Amino acid sequence: MLPKIAWRNVWRSRARSFVVIGAVLLGVWAFITMISFSLSLTKNYVDDAIRFQTSHIQIHHPDFEEDKGLQFLLDEKVFDKAKSQPSVQVAARRTIVNGMIKSSRGARGITIKGVEPEEELTLTTINEKLIEGRYFQKGKTNEILISTKMAEKLKLKLRKKVVLQFQDFKGDITAGSFRIVGLFNTGNTVADLGMVMVNRSDINRILGNENTLHEIAIQLKNASNDLESAQENLVTSLPNTTIKNYRQISPDIQLYESQIYISVSVLLFIFMLALVFGILNTMLMAVLERTKELGMLMAVGMSKGRVFLMIVLETIMLGLVGAPLGLGAGWLTVRYLNKTGIDLGGYAEGFERFGLSTMIRPELETELYFILMVAVFFTALLASLYPAYRAIKLKPMEAIRKI
Amino acid sequence: MSIIKIESVHKTYNPEKIPVHALRGVDLSIEKGEFTAIVGPSGSGKTTLLNIIGGLDRPSQGKITINNKDISTLSDNDMIKFRKDNIGFVFQAYNLIPVLTARENVEFVMVLQNKSQKERDHRANELLEVVGLADKKDNRPSELSGGQQQRVAVARALASKPAFVLADEPTANLDSASTASLLDMMANLNKEEGMTFVFSTHDQRVIDRARRVVTLVDGKIESDETR
Repeated sequence: MLPKIAWRNVWRSRARSFVVIGAVLLGVWAFITMISFSLSLTKNYVDDAIRFQTSHIQIHHPDFEEDKGLQFLLDEKVFDKAKSQPSVQVAARRTIVNGMIKSSRGARGITIKGVEPEEELTLTTINEKLIEGRYFQKGKTNEILISTKMAEKLKLKLRKKVVLQFQDFKGDITAGSFRIVGLFNTGNTVADLGMVMVNRSDINRILGNENTLHEIAIQLKNASNDLESAQENLVTSLPNTTIKNYRQISPDIQLYESQIYISVSVLLFIFMLALVFGILNTMLMAVLERTKELGMLMAVGMSKGRVFLMIVLETIMLGLVGAPLGLGAGWLTVRYLNKTGIDLGGYAEGFERFGLSTMIRPELETELYFILMVAVFFTALLASLYPAYRAIKLKPMEAIRKI
Repeated sequence: MSIIKIESVHKTYNPEKIPVHALRGVDLSIEKGEFTAIVGPSGSGKTTLLNIIGGLDRPSQGKITINNKDISTLSDNDMIKFRKDNIGFVFQAYNLIPVLTARENVEFVMVLQNKSQKERDHRANELLEVVGLADKKDNRPSELSGGQQQRVAVARALASKPAFVLADEPTANLDSASTASLLDMMANLNKEEGMTFVFSTHDQRVIDRARRVVTLVDGKIESDETR
C-alpha cells in the first residue's frame, strides 16, 4: 500500500508535480542533446585524426621518432608479420620524408607521405575526400595529391606541376617534379596544410632505395576494446621496433577524449545539483503542507521508517516520471539530428582550423541513457532525504493540531 | 478489569521558562466496555489527558498503565507500535488519508499490522457495513460528507481491533443529524461489541449519551459521575 499512497500523493498537487516532471524532462532532454552533440564532435575529431593522421597503431624504427631521420628504416618482414596479426584489419606501408613543396608562387614545409596506393585506400579512404581530380592511377608515375587548402596557399590547380625538395640518404638535397592529380579536403586544416601524398615507389626511386619503409600504419578490427592488447601483441611479436597507439602518437587526441568526459561529468553534476534543489524544494513544500496528515499517520501507528520510505518513494516516483519522457525526447532528437546532421558550415573555418569536421551527426551510446536514468534516480533519492527527515522529526501530537 | 489506569499524572509544559500546569495529579481508571466522556472548559486539560492516554504525549510525573503495561517508559518507536496494536483514534477533523478510498483508509492500519489481504478485505467490508457506508467504500474522503468521513474514521479506529477507541471532540465539525447518527453507531458498537470509547468533548449531545462523565477543571478531576 505504501507505493500506492506514494504514487497517488505524487498527483495530489498536479500543477506542482508537472513543474518538477517538466523540469526533469527538459533537463534530461537538454542534457542528452547537448552531450550527444559534444561527444559526436569529439568522436568526429578523433575518428578523422585516426583515419587521416595517426591510424590506430603505427610502427617505426626505434630511432625514427627522434628526428624522423631517413636512415631509420623498417624491414619488409615487419610489415608481413604485423599484417598477419589476428587483431589487425589492414596495414599500409609508408615512406615518410620531411621536405618542401614548391610552386612558382611559393613554398611550404611539409611531410611527404609515400604510400602504397592500394593499401592506403583500405586505411585512410582518402579517395572519398577528393574534391577535384582522381586518386593515383596504376602505371602512372610522379603523381601527387595535395589538399585544396594547400593549393589555395600556393595558388595551384589540378594538373599543375609542383616540386618536392628534400634530403636523400647522403644528406644531399634532391628534388622531384610531380603533377597534381587530385585535391583533397579532409576537413582538418592542420592535417591538410601539413601533408602531401605521393606514390611510395616514386619517392623511393628519388631517394635511391626502393625498399625505403619508415612507417607501418595499422587499423585494428576492434580498436575501442582491443587497442592496448593488440598493441601488446604487436610489441611481443615485433622486437626492435617502436609501436605506438594513436593516443601515444597524438596526445592531443587523448587530452581531447578525456577532456570531453570530464566536461560530461561536470555537466552531469551541475544538472543533478539543479535537479536536487528543484525536487527538494517541491517535496519539502509537500511535507510541510501535509504536516497534519503525517502526524495522523504516525499517531495511528505508522512507523518512522515507513513514513521515511513513503516520502523517499514519492520523491523517486516524481523524479522518475519525467526521466523516461526526457530520455525518449532526447533519443528522438538525437535520432533526428543524426539523420539530418548538423551543418556547422557557418563556423566552418574555425572548426576546420581545430581539426573538427563541419558536419556533425549526433549519436549517443545506450549506456549513457542508462547512466542518466540512474543519475536521476540517485538525484531524486538524494533530494528525498531532507524532506523525509523533516517528516519523521514531526511530533504526532503537535502535527495533528497544525492548521 | 481496568484497561486504562492513570496514577498521579502531572503534565507541565515549559517547565523551565513559564511553566504551564496542564494536569495536576490526575487519578483515573477506565474499565473495559465503558462509554466515557472527559469534559471541561477550554484549558482544563482534557486534550492533554487524552493525548497522554493515547501515548501521543508523556506525563511529567505519574504512571499510565494500559492493559497492564506501563506505557510511560516506552521509547518513541515502541510507543508507535503500541498505539498501532492497542489504540484506535478518531480525530476532530477526521484526518483520513485523502488519496485512499474509504475501504483503503479502513484497511490502512491493518496493512501496518501486516495482516493478509483476505483478512483486511473481510474486516474492512464488515466495518464499513457496521458504520453504514458499504456503498461508499470506493469513494475518496473528498467525495464524502463530514459525517460520513467521521464514520470511516471510526471504522478505521476499530480495524486494528484495539483495546479502546479515543475520540478527540469527534462531533465538533458535524451537524446535529450527523452527530446523532454517529453517536448512535458508537453506542451500538459499545453495547453490542463491548468496545470501550473515551471521548474528550464540549458537546452536550455527546455528554448526554455518555454513561460516565469525568469533568476536569484546571488540570484536576472535579467530578466523576457514572450514570
